[in-house]
Amino acid sequence: MKYIVQVGDMKVGVKGDEIVTHALGSCLGLMVYDPVAHVGGLLHAMLPLSKINPQKAEANPYMFVDKGVPCLFKEVYNLGGQKERLIVKAAGCGSPIGKNEMFKIGERNYTVLKKLLWKNNVLLKAEETGGTISRTVYLDITTGRTTIKSGREERNL
Amino acid sequence: MKRTTQRKIISRMKMFPSISGVATKVLKLLDSPDSTATQVEQVLKQDPGLTANVLKITNSAYFGMPSKVGSVRQSVVLLGWERVSKMVMATCVNAIMDRSVPGYDLPPGELWRHSIAVSVTAEGLMKELKMAARDEIFTAALLHDMGKLILGSIVKEDLDSIKSAAEQGVPFQIAEQKVLGTDHAEIGGQLLESWSFPSELVSAVRWHHEPDSDPDANPITDLVHVANVLCLMIGIGVGVEGLHYEPSPSATKRLGIKPTQLELIASQTLEWANELTDVFT
Repeated sequence: MKYIVQVGDMKVGVKGDEIVTHALGSCLGLMVYDPVAHVGGLLHAMLPLSKINPQKAEANPYMFVDKGVPCLFKEVYNLGGQKERLIVKAAGCGSPIGKNEMFKIGERNYTVLKKLLWKNNVLLKAEETGGTISRTVYLDITTGRTTIKSGREERNL
Repeated sequence: MKRTTQRKIISRMKMFPSISGVATKVLKLLDSPDSTATQVEQVLKQDPGLTANVLKITNSAYFGMPSKVGSVRQSVVLLGWERVSKMVMATCVNAIMDRSVPGYDLPPGELWRHSIAVSVTAEGLMKELKMAARDEIFTAALLHDMGKLILGSIVKEDLDSIKSAAEQGVPFQIAEQKVLGTDHAEIGGQLLESWSFPSELVSAVRWHHEPDSDPDANPITDLVHVANVLCLMIGIGVGVEGLHYEPSPSATKRLGIKPTQLELIASQTLEWANELTDVFT
């Protein structure tokens, strides 16, 4: 089955599934995959910290990196994924050009992600983050293949 | 500007479907404090299709009316003049903006979704910043990218040159200027000018990427500028240029926005935009 992850959402899948998310700008795309259990998930989080809007975070934790990332891991564990086998990859976290710090939401998303992973002893296997491009990410749950598409260009992550 | 490019742009502007005259009249009525619901109804009566759409939208789930509304006058009384006029404007441009924009890599519906999102974000920022209510903000934000519809096919032909120019570190609209001699914001401004729109709206569209250049230093221009970048960042209407624009530090300073306020508005934008987009589907 093919799942599309909207902004501020998360989907998990099993062998045979493909998970896609479109138009990652400053948002974080986080892909988690267990190559033995053939399960995985993809999160598309918009903002770094949920304290900005606790009511929204209650209704939708996937909008925020600090709440969404733990939820993604838990959902993958629920499908049989094991922490020591997980392959974790990140995409997105872009920023507009210039020096206006207020708009560096992408960089703040990335910082919060790295802190969370570091605290939990998880390493990123690969990442394509930063810059000004918009990215679409495909995660094939059968093979774990992660593909990034940006305009006419396509590459493996 | 290359002569052939200039000719193409002028011919596309001429061929561009004109906005309903009714919408222009509605905008003028909005400007006048003495306008009445009856006057609005009379203007809308000139366009039965538009009247039918206004009633359809008024009766949509978005407004949650307890009973069916059967006349424009009733719509104005129940929803308020301001909301009805916004719906009229949005209905008028919906058909034009719902299409794909090939040069900018926007699939069908994406420019429309972006325009609606920028409108609700700009209004949300205005309220969050406790600025005096300005009804024109919705329309300025809704129409800010009209120039992309005119330049779409032209940009497509010169995309590689525009991209190379942008890779030198300049914002995308500057790259457009270098290659085409003009940019989508300027063309949008010219289009609105040709429709005799109020000058504040024209300026907000023309300077939405370069608010510091707006000779009128109009806060509407600053709001549209900030809301536009924010919506692109969260992936609504992000096209071939990605996030290759430069948010003006002076605009955020003039508006007095704090980073937390920007993130708070971002957290609400999607819900607002989806609610309003649903009204038109």
